Amino acid sequence: MIGSTAVVILIGTYPYYGSNAYVLSLLGKFLCFAIFALSIDLIWGFTGILSLGQAVYFGIGAYLVALSLKINYALTHPTRYGGKFPDFMEWNGLTELPRFMTPLISTPIAVICALLFPTLLAFLFGVITFKRHIYGVYCAVITLAESLILQDFIIEYQAYTGGFNGITDYSNYGTPAFLWFILAVVVVFFIVARALTHSRVGTVLKSIRDNDVRAEFMGYNVANYRIFVFCVSAFMAASAGALYAAWVGIVSFLDAGPVFSIEGVIWTAVGGRGTLIGPFIGTFLVKGAEFFLSGALAQWWQIIVGSLFIFVVLVLRDGIVGSVANWIRARKKKTTLHQVMEESDRTAHDQQLDWRPAGVPESDEAVR
Amino acid sequence: MGSLLEVKGLTTRVSGFTILNNLDFSIEQNELRVLLGPNGAGKTTLICMITGQFRPVAGSIHFAGRDITGWAPDEIFQAGISRKFQVPNMYETLSVHDNIMVSLQGRRRVFSTLFQRLSGQERNRIWEILEFVELADKASDAADSLSHGERQWLELGMLIASNPKLLLLDEPTTGMTEEGKRKTAELIRKIAKTHTVLLVEHDMHIVRQIGQRITVLHQGQLLAEGPIAEVMNNETVRRVYLGKGKFQ
Repeated sequence: MIGSTAVVILIGTYPYYGSNAYVLSLLGKFLCFAIFALSIDLIWGFTGILSLGQAVYFGIGAYLVALSLKINYALTHPTRYGGKFPDFMEWNGLTELPRFMTPLISTPIAVICALLFPTLLAFLFGVITFKRHIYGVYCAVITLAESLILQDFIIEYQAYTGGFNGITDYSNYGTPAFLWFILAVVVVFFIVARALTHSRVGTVLKSIRDNDVRAEFMGYNVANYRIFVFCVSAFMAASAGALYAAWVGIVSFLDAGPVFSIEGVIWTAVGGRGTLIGPFIGTFLVKGAEFFLSGALAQWWQIIVGSLFIFVVLVLRDGIVGSVANWIRARKKKTTLHQVMEESDRTAHDQQLDWRPAGVPESDEAVR
Repeated sequence: MGSLLEVKGLTTRVSGFTILNNLDFSIEQNELRVLLGPNGAGKTTLICMITGQFRPVAGSIHFAGRDITGWAPDEIFQAGISRKFQVPNMYETLSVHDNIMVSLQGRRRVFSTLFQRLSGQERNRIWEILEFVELADKASDAADSLSHGERQWLELGMLIASNPKLLLLDEPTTGMTEEGKRKTAELIRKIAKTHTVLLVEHDMHIVRQIGQRITVLHQGQLLAEGPIAEVMNNETVRRVYLGKGKFQ
């Protein structure tokens, strides 16, 4: 508690004691990424839904805010040819702001859209997949496809999205006050996530992660719980995207694509899924290392991140935070070697009796 | 008042193979019924049909006066049927205590569980159940640290927590030691005092220990039904199930 308050103050006051603008911009960026990772942790770490398309919600949130800022910027900064609408639209042959984009001139409406659209989309996605009992690998593949589609859509409709160039050149909120705002949102989401995962719903979500068949036969409508948490998570990701667009001042199709989605999954895995600080630590470590080391190791960086992921999956299954917690727990118990061996004997014995994977109620033979 | 559970003309096929064939079957309130049958007789399938895991090709299932044929598993649970799987099936990373808590009778919808807190009554109930299945001293351990037998008992505890009208127990003693089996039988007998139970069991010792009425299935059809002594002496039953080696 004290530790986290200290961290918040340390980050929030950075603009007043540090003068490195680069580090300052990175801080805000990382905080947005951390919210994004937290949103992945909610569905993956706590509910067991692996989404490889979480960037869709981040991306839509980011694009809507960036569009709004860009449209407003263009109103006061006419293009070279005198148009009072975003320059990339002019380059692509539009002569005025498309009608359906006019509501985005109002900042509150843009923000509401940026948060609501992704949540609604997540709801639709959830109804389509979870209600039909699609989850696990299939869900991962569908979400991956989802983010590929969005990425292609952005590139294809460049008159409305800026295409490959993304949306740039608008007045962003790069002030210390906005860093405080991002921090506040981080804190609020952290508290919300904590309340959620420690509530009765959280316990149900974890039981769905552990054994969805059992939960279903215990009267829980598993699909509804999945849809609920998926929407909460999409809302978080969208907020992260909206803040990101406002802070950084550039949004590109990469922010909605599969690579960014998977990066988020890696941060969560490295930090420790199923824990709340894990995603924060993972994001700051991996992303931080990327920014400070990629200068020296530019060509190798992708390989390093990939290997890191494989290492975490193979060795540190619970990520950094989870592994440390396990280690502390083991030390507390002060298990002797003898006890450990006895325990492993017992599990080996159990596994011989209980060789079927969880959730598979019976073999073919038993059914007949 | 009719039977608690009434299965009529139930037929099911899986990839062309008829597993249950026009099965009629019923259980009265407060009964402890044992379901017997050789491998492949359709015992587990019957349980899967009752709990909504599979849909029947023909026939109907009535429970407590309502037609539950084709309902989803969670709806059937809410109607009052809880099921124990053959293999212990619980939430591995949750603590023993939380496993029971999630199973407690009560509201199951997303928004009603969102702000729900444990009442004092529920807290007591959890501990009562933990005492009952003798896992109280392991309440805060993760469920996957339990031994095989303890897992089976935990799942029994979870079923009791949900306070169903009908418990379906699918071979709850699978893979247990003799000692464990005895204890399980004891638990089931105690549960049966206050609940209606349908027990699938292979072990004849256990059946003799707790069985009252027995139903024997064979090739998806009802072969015999009646008090234990009567069924055990039935010629057909002995031939297909008990004394395979004696004939031919």
